[in-house]
Amino acid sequence: MIYLAVVFVQSAIAAVLAVHAMTAIKAAGPRLERENSVVSDLKLTDLCLFTEARYTRHPAMADRNTAFQDYPFSFEHFPSGSLIPVPEIVRK
Amino acid sequence: MAWIDKQKNILDFTLSSLLRRKGKNAALVCVYTVVVFVLASIMFFTHAIKKEAMIILKDAPEVLVQRMVAGRHDLIDMKYADEIKKITGVTSAEGRLWGYYYDPLFRANYTLMVPPEFKYQQGEIAVGQGVSRSAVTEEGNIMPFFGMDGKLTSFRIRELLSSESELVTSDLVIMSEQDFRELFGIPKNRVTDLAVTVGNPQEVVTIANKIKKQFPDTRPIIREEIIRTYDTLFDWRSGIMLVVFSGALLAFIIFSWDKASGLSAEERKEIGILKATGWETADVILMKFWEGTVISLTSFLTGMIFAYVHVFFSSAALFEPVLKGWAVLYPQFRLVPYINAYQVATLFFLTVVPYTTATIVPTWRAAIVDPDSVMRT
Amino acid sequence: MIVLESVKKVFNQGRPNELVAVADASLSIDASKVTVLKGPSGSGKTTLLSIIGCMTRPTAGRIHLGDREITSLPERFLTAVRGETFGFIFQQFNLIRGITALENVMIPAYPKGERYGILKGRAMGLLAMFNLADKSASKAEWLSGGEAQRVAIARALINNPSILIADEPTAHLDTKLSGEFMEIMAGLHRQGRTIIIASHDPVVYESSLINRTVEMRDGRIVQ
Repeated sequence: MIYLAVVFVQSAIAAVLAVHAMTAIKAAGPRLERENSVVSDLKLTDLCLFTEARYTRHPAMADRNTAFQDYPFSFEHFPSGSLIPVPEIVRK
Repeated sequence: MAWIDKQKNILDFTLSSLLRRKGKNAALVCVYTVVVFVLASIMFFTHAIKKEAMIILKDAPEVLVQRMVAGRHDLIDMKYADEIKKITGVTSAEGRLWGYYYDPLFRANYTLMVPPEFKYQQGEIAVGQGVSRSAVTEEGNIMPFFGMDGKLTSFRIRELLSSESELVTSDLVIMSEQDFRELFGIPKNRVTDLAVTVGNPQEVVTIANKIKKQFPDTRPIIREEIIRTYDTLFDWRSGIMLVVFSGALLAFIIFSWDKASGLSAEERKEIGILKATGWETADVILMKFWEGTVISLTSFLTGMIFAYVHVFFSSAALFEPVLKGWAVLYPQFRLVPYINAYQVATLFFLTVVPYTTATIVPTWRAAIVDPDSVMRT
Repeated sequence: MIVLESVKKVFNQGRPNELVAVADASLSIDASKVTVLKGPSGSGKTTLLSIIGCMTRPTAGRIHLGDREITSLPERFLTAVRGETFGFIFQQFNLIRGITALENVMIPAYPKGERYGILKGRAMGLLAMFNLADKSASKAEWLSGGEAQRVAIARALINNPSILIADEPTAHLDTKLSGEFMEIMAGLHRQGRTIIIASHDPVVYESSLINRTVEMRDGRIVQ
């Protein structure tokens, strides 16, 4: 009985989180729109997630012509290198 | 009704027998929960950030034209823009001025950028939240930059870019065109790259090809490629995720192996007693099914709940060291909880089902023995 | 009521360690009587008992329970027959350690799908009948020998069987407790239950309760 209650509580929490997810997505709408306008106003191309190298700051700007510096193949350079696969444009 | 009561009774017995080995089972549930937690965290995080990137970047420039010199990205002459504007289908071609700046004082990298319309005066800048954090500065303060000639130029911070846009603006320093050119010594007619707008979205690829043909020293990047880059960037199967996943899988194999071979003599004897007192083989298997379900379902739900809290309430605090890498400047952002039901289902079938099966199989072997074995010992 | 026709049980048949536990036993056991299988250890009492109780199948021969021939029944039905008809008291008591006396009593009834509350009530009733009401929440391994024996009897009775089978029930009890055990058996006999006991303890087979003694030696019925 106690276990069933535990499962019930867990499911209830999961349901609450699901509702939270839905409302949060809805609530995030205006913010995402404002972010959109920042992107279009400043003509931005990338997310600012990794600021240690050019190719991690602007992965979309990485090019296939530069053999070394901008090539995100270098796993050993930075920990985030292991998170970033070679962009599609470079792989083609 | 009898069926439900039977399930309830057997579940009840399963729970009280699980409670007998409290320590062992609690440890099992803990490890299991951690496995689910890590996997679910990665899953939630990558899916949410991919989705968010796609939404945010859908208004990125349609085509970007970079000039390449000796295999490196170089400044581009505005003459290119005039020529590109003449291509049919192109609505506009504007120069973008941006670059990187290493702040030796705080050892952080900033992205310096000139917006199409700068609201403030020369000598004034707007900075992202990340910059203000790492340089410990705020609105109204002075921020010095080393110019190309080695001289220090001071700028007054007029604005902090909103924290809600931090995911794209955290490391930005926005300044006027004149300041930017003076700071880096960029000639008047040169820009970093060109942002090209195209009237008909279906013509984008054709126009990019035309530009490439007309100017072989350029590289056009289309928006679709930018978005696709972010799609693969956090690809669930890539890099460290895969490593973590295989580690988790390995842990599962160890669990399963332990379960499959580890039906102890005591457990065997208990199954014998159950059979001797009138339980059918199917009842014993049902009991073990409940045992597997109790452990895996509890762990699965707990792991998922913690993962959700971790990723969407604490912004994946545990991943931060990995994501941060060597960067001094890291954006603070709260992800929108986009959840892929398909991924959740996949995780469920990859964890709960194999575990439950691994619990049942060895029992089945033990449960088909003659019940009189208890009498003979 | 129970009729055995030339029943034979061989373990490890065809192997060097072949063991004939029961060789050609024919026996008829009457309903509502107390029958004792007597004989030294290794005489095949336990094996015959488990054959009678549908715990194991004979290598050869037939068993009739009432008017049913049960040797040819498939496993599922055999288990069902066993569950409805027989209650077992084992030599080692075979209580499951770590769970309470009450839960041990309830075990045989769990798969029957009875409402938990009602089942618990019945189990408590049985424990009270054996003066164990205050021990219901004790773990099985904390019970004394006599208490464990009585819990085992309560467990054997939870499905209200018509036939009670006990294998060397007094082997781990002193004379006083053995006497108490026989008193309990007498009470159950008065309720009309058939009781079959395998034992080589004089307290059992010399008891006035016994209606019939079947003596076994080397897997055969002597008389």
